[in-house]
Amino acid sequence: MRLPKFLYVEPGSLEEACLFLEEHGRESKLMAGGTDLLPSMKLGLSAPKWLINTSALPQLDQVEFDEGSGLRIGASVKIGALERNALVRQKYPGIALAAVCVGSPQLRQMGTVGGNLSIDTRCDYYNQPDLWRDCKPKCIKMGGETCNAIGGGRKCFAVFSGDLAPALIALDARIRLVSVREERIIPLSELYTGNGAKPRAIKPEEILAGVEVPLLPAGTVGTYAKFAVRKAIDFPLAGVATLLTLEGKEKLCRAAKVVIGAVGPGPDEVKAIGQLLEGKKLSLQLIEEASSLAFKAAKPVANRGSSPVYRKLMIKALVRKALRQAL
Amino acid sequence: MKEQVTLEINGESHELLVEPEKTLLEVLREDLGLTGTKQSCDMGTCGACTVLLNNKPALACLTLAVACKGKQITTIEGLRKGEELHPLQSSFIERGAIQCGMCTPGMILSAKALLDENAHPTEAEVRTAISGNLCRCTGYTKIVEAILAASAAD
Repeated sequence: MRLPKFLYVEPGSLEEACLFLEEHGRESKLMAGGTDLLPSMKLGLSAPKWLINTSALPQLDQVEFDEGSGLRIGASVKIGALERNALVRQKYPGIALAAVCVGSPQLRQMGTVGGNLSIDTRCDYYNQPDLWRDCKPKCIKMGGETCNAIGGGRKCFAVFSGDLAPALIALDARIRLVSVREERIIPLSELYTGNGAKPRAIKPEEILAGVEVPLLPAGTVGTYAKFAVRKAIDFPLAGVATLLTLEGKEKLCRAAKVVIGAVGPGPDEVKAIGQLLEGKKLSLQLIEEASSLAFKAAKPVANRGSSPVYRKLMIKALVRKALRQAL
Repeated sequence: MKEQVTLEINGESHELLVEPEKTLLEVLREDLGLTGTKQSCDMGTCGACTVLLNNKPALACLTLAVACKGKQITTIEGLRKGEELHPLQSSFIERGAIQCGMCTPGMILSAKALLDENAHPTEAEVRTAISGNLCRCTGYTKIVEAILAASAAD
């Protein structure tokens, strides 16, 4: 499959990249590792006029930790580098767990943190070559009016299938969005719109420059688990990130956060679980209730090659497993 | 519009004029005749096009040639020293780890990247290192044995 033609630029700095986007943002795509963008272009899903290579921007490839403010991860940090980073493994093991789940060794070597947070939503009826898609009406994500996955569907249910996002959202991560005019810092959870056709709330002139993860209170443990058909290469069909702060031998829950992924157009926090568990002693009974809440919260549709019910059941099982590990 | 780019491949410099939309895989195979790197899925899901970029495994089908300036590219052709094969290549041959050969260059390069960083990996570490390289023929058993044997031999 050949890539369509495009004009190529390699800005030397974040400022240069932002200036370029200010003028050409609407006709450009950013390429860091290219592992999501290039397949999309090969399938004929995307044909930007400009391709902006951000992989070598000097300010964006650092992982820094500060005892006062927490972790800062530049958007161009490779997922493999994040996975192997000693600080991350020691202080934020949930992030390392999620990073190691991504793709394959080659994809982790090429792909970046910013890229993984920004991957396009996926659907078995969308991620297909031109020839395949031409046999069906133009779908909503392609700018048409029909959903091919769901007969009569009027909104897009393409699935956000990133592994890092649920783990980072569980950690209350925030992202830095930079443009010529301003720098905004927003919770990572607010990046995701829940609309499969326009999944991210980022302006054409903005670049996701980095991720900030706050310090964790003592006794806090984060996890991430992924369900996929194979152990590598596959996108998740269900993903669960948890963050628990437990106190004492009775496992009094001071804080609980469960974020589910790959079962909707964006990662979702199951707030009802936090409400259920906080202030109570963690028990098998409560864990069963929590996993049932997760089952109800997951709303996958039949667009990713695995039955929606099975993915809901896997969400339930992964939540149960993660919470039991904390007991 | 073509861009001038100098690619360092297997220790040799190649000055080329390439369009930005050419992948490293296309340039290797079509412009340089280095057909050891294989084109299979062409979208990052099989690993057959694995090369080493600055000694780390990367997929040539998803790498733009113009983005490789200043990087050290190693293909399977770069592993032998004159007539002498790399220990991984010999091990694969001796242990019957090659059937059709399509996955082999990518497998060997992924294995080389592993052994260069971790000279004595466990079987689990070997399997993780090649988890991005699919093989339809062998069932992976002899491939894993060949990599472990090559590591033990050092």
